[in-house]
Amino acid sequence: MNPIDAVKPWFSSRVTRWLERRMPAVQEISLHRKNIFILPTGPGLLFLTATILIFVTAINYVLSLAFGLAFLMVSLFILSILHTFRNLQHLSLRGVGAEPIFAGEDAAFVVLLSRQSNQEHEMLELRFPSSIWSQADVLDNEQERVKVFLPSVRRGLLKAPRLTVQTRFPLGLWRAWSHVDLAMSCLVYPHPQEGPLPGLVGGSTSGKSESVKTGVDDFHGLRAYQTGDSLKQIAWKSLARGQGLKVKQFVDAVDDQLMLDWEMFPGMESEERLSRLCYWVLILAQQDIDYGLRIPGQEFSLGRGDAHRGKLLGALALWQGGAL
Amino acid sequence: MTDKQAHIPRLTIWWMLGALALVVAPHLLRLPVWISALIVACVIWRILIFIGRVGFPNKFLKIMIVFLALPLTVVEYRGSGAGLDAAVCLLILGTVFKLLEMRQRRDMLIVVCLCYVLTMVGFIYSQTILAALHALLTFIVITGALVTLQRDNQRSSLKGNGKLALRLVAQAIPLAIVLFVLVPRIAPLWTMPVPVSPNKTGVTDEMSPGNISSLSRSAELAFRVSFENNAPLQDQMYWRGLVLDFFDGRSWRRAGSAFQSYAMIERFDNRLQGEMQGGAVDYDVILEPTQQSWIYALQLADFDASDIRQDRYYTLHTEKPVTQRYRYKMRSYLRNETDLELSGILRSRALQLPEPDGNPNSHQLAERLRAQSSGDLDYANRVMRYFREQPFYYTLTPPELGEASIDDFLFNSLQGFCEHYASSFVYLMRAAGVPARVVVGYQGGETNPFEGYTMVYQYNAHAWAEIWLEGQGWVRMDPTGAVAPERISEGAQAVLGDQPGFLDDSRFSMMRFRNTEWLNTLRLRLDAMDYAWNRWVVSYDEDLQLQLLEAFFGDRAKQTLLYALGASFLLFFIIAAFFLLGGRKRDMRDQATRLYLRLLVDLADSGLSRRRGEGPLDFANRVAESRPDIAADMTRITALYVRMSYAQDAQDESFGELKEYILALRLRLSSPWRRVVLRNFPAFRT
Repeated sequence: MNPIDAVKPWFSSRVTRWLERRMPAVQEISLHRKNIFILPTGPGLLFLTATILIFVTAINYVLSLAFGLAFLMVSLFILSILHTFRNLQHLSLRGVGAEPIFAGEDAAFVVLLSRQSNQEHEMLELRFPSSIWSQADVLDNEQERVKVFLPSVRRGLLKAPRLTVQTRFPLGLWRAWSHVDLAMSCLVYPHPQEGPLPGLVGGSTSGKSESVKTGVDDFHGLRAYQTGDSLKQIAWKSLARGQGLKVKQFVDAVDDQLMLDWEMFPGMESEERLSRLCYWVLILAQQDIDYGLRIPGQEFSLGRGDAHRGKLLGALALWQGGAL
Repeated sequence: MTDKQAHIPRLTIWWMLGALALVVAPHLLRLPVWISALIVACVIWRILIFIGRVGFPNKFLKIMIVFLALPLTVVEYRGSGAGLDAAVCLLILGTVFKLLEMRQRRDMLIVVCLCYVLTMVGFIYSQTILAALHALLTFIVITGALVTLQRDNQRSSLKGNGKLALRLVAQAIPLAIVLFVLVPRIAPLWTMPVPVSPNKTGVTDEMSPGNISSLSRSAELAFRVSFENNAPLQDQMYWRGLVLDFFDGRSWRRAGSAFQSYAMIERFDNRLQGEMQGGAVDYDVILEPTQQSWIYALQLADFDASDIRQDRYYTLHTEKPVTQRYRYKMRSYLRNETDLELSGILRSRALQLPEPDGNPNSHQLAERLRAQSSGDLDYANRVMRYFREQPFYYTLTPPELGEASIDDFLFNSLQGFCEHYASSFVYLMRAAGVPARVVVGYQGGETNPFEGYTMVYQYNAHAWAEIWLEGQGWVRMDPTGAVAPERISEGAQAVLGDQPGFLDDSRFSMMRFRNTEWLNTLRLRLDAMDYAWNRWVVSYDEDLQLQLLEAFFGDRAKQTLLYALGASFLLFFIIAAFFLLGGRKRDMRDQATRLYLRLLVDLADSGLSRRRGEGPLDFANRVAESRPDIAADMTRITALYVRMSYAQDAQDESFGELKEYILALRLRLSSPWRRVVLRNFPAFRT
């Protein structure tokens, strides 16, 4: 094992602990002298190399003006520390949170950037570790919202790691950054998994035990869009989720009530059951029926509407404290 | 921006092209034509790539270009001997090639850094004020390219980025000046090849009829001198360059070609024979590049510089040819006697005559005059008188001389320039056994009335004679003075001004307009500026640095240098940090109050002032009564202001609203002129 690799985890844990102490998680943080770090970038070092080259030539050819040029470059290099630092200073970040997502999607954490002085903040870059950069400016407006993305793997409560906010503006010779913990988290629903509803369980609240016919003919949920389909039937939500153009297929409900149950999917792993249940909650939420959910330890009576849907999905997401 | 590494903002290309064009432009005329053409072609190609007309060069083409351009450059510069020109050429080509193939951010950064280096390369060839201004402009544009590379938002515009770059550079200049003044100057680490300029002007080490008179066609500056105390008179200003003591019947040369090289210069340890005496003059010379390795001074020169050598003829030599403006300090003893005893070799050199000699008439003349005279000095004076009494004519355009040049001149044409007189005078001396030699250099100079220094031009080039007299050593004799005394006392300009051919090579030189008063003043002013630039900036060195520091710190200048440097560095940083980072955190409520109070001032101007103790709401009601036209605005503003001032959840958005309403109302209240100011200059709004 490479000695550096051996030291790395130890080192990064030390850094993390140090950061925890220095900048504990808060909902809103203002950047200032004590929490901004700054170091030269690769291009900055290249710039410095060019400066040294010019300086040595100036010495050897006794070129007074080349000395001047080298000094101007040194001066610019030093000055840009202040400019880059200033670009982060007095910037305030507030974690707004993120809309719930399904496992496997990217959580879009909304961060509110606001300036606390006349200083404008240009070309700010934000990201979570090993995620993609989001770019933002705080110019004319006092506040700007920026979405920072974080991929999710499993259901549960996704706690946002430390957010890196950095800038190289104006010359790219220095990089000023800060790692802030805005105490944000995102609810991650199980990944909806398509599949038939194999078992039938009556809605217990109504006291009746009515059946829903299962089978291929009755219900497909969503299917791919074909030319000629009515615009009213397009599943806009799934389109917005980036799942492609789909069309809702209406079930010919024999009944206007349905109770989803853990036991409907016998023989499956619990995570898979949750995924199936999640799928059916989504389908039923689009129908004109009342639906409920029964999972071990929790039971939700029949209902409809966005709040009801959210409650059910949330229960699925957080069942047994989230996926391991 | 790891994942955006490849992304280049579109505007950047234009900035890069602009920077490159500025950097390369001064070199285009100097470089061989085909290389200049290649550079222009590459730039055009890059533009075509950018606007999508053609693609990037493929690998094969790139290799072809590089492998053709490299050897061709080497071949092109092979003969010229200076590796520097070739290196500069390759550096420029490399930058342009990199520009052609750049796609990524990293390539751009390399081109940017190369552009900075190329800006410096320009200084190897020119360090004039103009070159400095050009370099400053280039620097701003390159910095602008760097800004554009970083800025990828709606603020990125040609004007916006230019302004930011200008601001950054302007802020960087104070520290740069401090560093320029205070950073210790180090001696060159190793010797470098120097560029050789193809056109050599000035005095050469060979004098034949016509080659000094050709210099009078040029109004180029030869050197500038500032005297520490009083300048000597015009007729004392003989700027000695070289001693030419070998005559082949037509031209004068230095004895033996061995003298050409610095290592072979005949040195002598006890530099000067006898004590320095009388008529000391201290002065400081800035010599224009001559590409030669000798420099000019008044006889007899004494100096401290370690890179100057004085040879047996008391002429001064530098280690390397003077390719850049060269500054040196001298002290001359005008009344000093030299070589009271003449050694054998010098004597024989000073008596050398061509063999066979084809000037029998001149020999006869020498013998006749010698027979009449009582001694060497008397003989020399007789020859001078001969020049004065015979109808010799001082002219820039003498007729061609035949094979026997001395005879032809003395008895046939009688028209000549200083080289003719010097040459024939020395010949007549030697023919009569008096040791004599030709000296070439400059005579006279023009005093700049604004700065008090003396300007010596190419047309001041002159040749005279030195003869050796028993008990006196070498004595200067100027036969030109016998023919045209005003040439010596008033300068070349006075005598030659009306002659055809004078300043012909400087057709557009301002020197030609010296009779137009204001143009002449302008010329002298510009020259004074250029001189100051050279004296204080271009030739700023350790001595000058020390001199400057001593003015501030006295004797301990050298020790304090580093402290001064550190202190000013820190001071700059603190001041810059204060101005840049000092922006206080802003409270929206304070801002709102300030805006509201500003509005009250405007209202007071139009006759509505708030009474002592009157609350904003009461005041608004009173305003609404007396000025119904602004009642609605006033009520709205007051409501917003009160909410912002007293409500806990004062919103930033309502501040923007308040700002807008207040400005609108103030615009309505103010005069048309103030309205224009308020609209266009946000600074006046608060």
